[in-house]
Amino acid sequence: MKNLRLRERSWTIGITILFLILGFWRSQQLPKFGGYEIKTIILGVVPIALLAMGQSLIVIGGGINLAIGAEALLINCLTAKFMNGTSFIHSLLIAILGLLASVAVGVLTGWIIGASGIADIVVTLATSFIIVGIAMVIFPIPGGGTNAHFAQLITGGGNSFLLPLLAIALPYLLIWAPLYRSRTGIAIFAIGSNKDAAFLSGVDVKTTRIKLYAIGGLFAGFSGIALTCVTKSGSAIITISNAATLNSVAASVLGGIALSGGVGGLFGPVLASVVIYFIPTIMLGYGIDPAYSQIIQGTLTISVVLVGGWLRLRAKRSK
Amino acid sequence: MLKILSEINSKISVSMRSLMGILVVLFIVTGLVDNYFYTFDSIGNTLQIAAPLAIFGAGQTIVMLTGGIDLSLAMTATGTIYLISVKSSDGLAVSLTWGILFCLIVGTINGVAIGIFNVNPLIMTLSMSTVLIGFFSVGVSTFLKGSSSVPSLFVTMSSGYIWGPVLSWPLLVWLIVATVVMFLLTKTGLGRLIYSVGDNAKAVRLAGIKVWQVQLASYILCSFFAGLGGVILGGQSGAVSIDLATSLLLPTVAAVVIGGTSIMGGMGTYTGTIMGALILAVISYLLSALDTSEALKQIIYGSIVLALAWTYAQVSTKGKKPVGKK
Repeated sequence: MKNLRLRERSWTIGITILFLILGFWRSQQLPKFGGYEIKTIILGVVPIALLAMGQSLIVIGGGINLAIGAEALLINCLTAKFMNGTSFIHSLLIAILGLLASVAVGVLTGWIIGASGIADIVVTLATSFIIVGIAMVIFPIPGGGTNAHFAQLITGGGNSFLLPLLAIALPYLLIWAPLYRSRTGIAIFAIGSNKDAAFLSGVDVKTTRIKLYAIGGLFAGFSGIALTCVTKSGSAIITISNAATLNSVAASVLGGIALSGGVGGLFGPVLASVVIYFIPTIMLGYGIDPAYSQIIQGTLTISVVLVGGWLRLRAKRSK
Repeated sequence: MLKILSEINSKISVSMRSLMGILVVLFIVTGLVDNYFYTFDSIGNTLQIAAPLAIFGAGQTIVMLTGGIDLSLAMTATGTIYLISVKSSDGLAVSLTWGILFCLIVGTINGVAIGIFNVNPLIMTLSMSTVLIGFFSVGVSTFLKGSSSVPSLFVTMSSGYIWGPVLSWPLLVWLIVATVVMFLLTKTGLGRLIYSVGDNAKAVRLAGIKVWQVQLASYILCSFFAGLGGVILGGQSGAVSIDLATSLLLPTVAAVVIGGTSIMGGMGTYTGTIMGALILAVISYLLSALDTSEALKQIIYGSIVLALAWTYAQVSTKGKKPVGKK
């Protein structure tokens, strides 16, 4: 247990250093680095970071959700369609309904996994098709919009980056921090680390899994709404949702979540999603083809897991 | 021991029979919707379209039997046929060497990382896929500039018929692949090891077998099947684009899972995967015959895959209640 904590802490320090280096690099690239520039960066990160938090939580609970990008896309399309040209209160209500819908999708996913006994990856693979299909039915042509005042809840006004920062910090503080200490949180860590042992110690595996996917869905819903506010439109394109899912998995891994489950926190993945945002942005700043950033991002993830595997191998040998 | 074996055997045949039943029902329904489906032309065509999926499925079955998964398969396929097309100006032998080399490199990297460094297969192959997408998107406009049209030899071979309107070249390749894979899995030592590594890697290691060698071999084999499927797929479409095989990636996993191969490894057959691929091919024919929108197609496709996997899970775990799953 002590080793795990140590590993977690050194990982967070590592990703923080990477984050600081890339942040400094980016700030040097820009002619002026003030509130507005920071705000632009955070706004670009908000949807990825929220999705990464949802995915990481599910991975901690021993699952994986390959439909999480599709969930965010669905909520993006729903809100962009119905918020278009409405009042502030109306938009707010739609946002709440959107979050409820996304939690419902999560509950359904968690229930199917428990009831069918099929592996998480297969179920979410199938649901990703279904969810994107539904999004395409609701919203065949990209477009839509949102109430300008409502969007400012996330984008903020002027050069202040307080509100965009809160869009990441509030879900972290209001959902993850209390969850981490709660019974449900402990149950999530327990089923992630050893399902059978958790079951035998009295944890209701199925209910915990449903809660897990519901909270993951909540984060996906937040991400979808944030996307609506930032881009002021919605588009049901499957490549977008697939890329978002891949980014969320990459951010979890870079953020120090073990795919075997039961280990990790959500702070690392948030920093990792900023790192993932920085790589193509910095390269674009140099006028390099952003396709190179995919090579770098992939290689970075591979090297991180390779080093992790090598360290584990060495630890095993020295025992 | 014998009793257990016969029990497993009967369980497999029960699920095989239910797969067969699903296929027959789908076949009849599709024919009722579209009468043209019952002609030899249409059956030959459906089989030809199913061939790349089933060949990818062969690779996916092998790695999934070891308890892994290969999500870089689609990009390996696209990369192979792209390399062959671009290098075809240097002659067929050179371009084929490039293709084979490429498959070997991708498979080796995947296998070494997963086998020796114990990297999670999902993450490893997903990242590999990202790297390959980046590599080829950059390459198209720089170091791999060239013709993206597939050499005419492969175009003829991927759409030509050998005998009548049914036996096409892709079908022949598929039959050869099926024979080889079934022989490999059931009659060779490596095949037995692939099953046992997926079932209990620790026990296999304690029995004195180098698990990483089995995994390495599986991932290299998978890459080669991906490359082979890519050549046929490229030949069928005539030109290579970066997303040539992307839409087939998830269906390969679906075909293997519907066919009854456990995603945890150690259980399954290639016969099942063939059935899975055929079922998916008939479903997509049915959906096009019904003239559904792309959105509805996605919904129906996803639901059917989920429903089939669910039914299969019920059939194959009947009477077996693992702890914690209740």
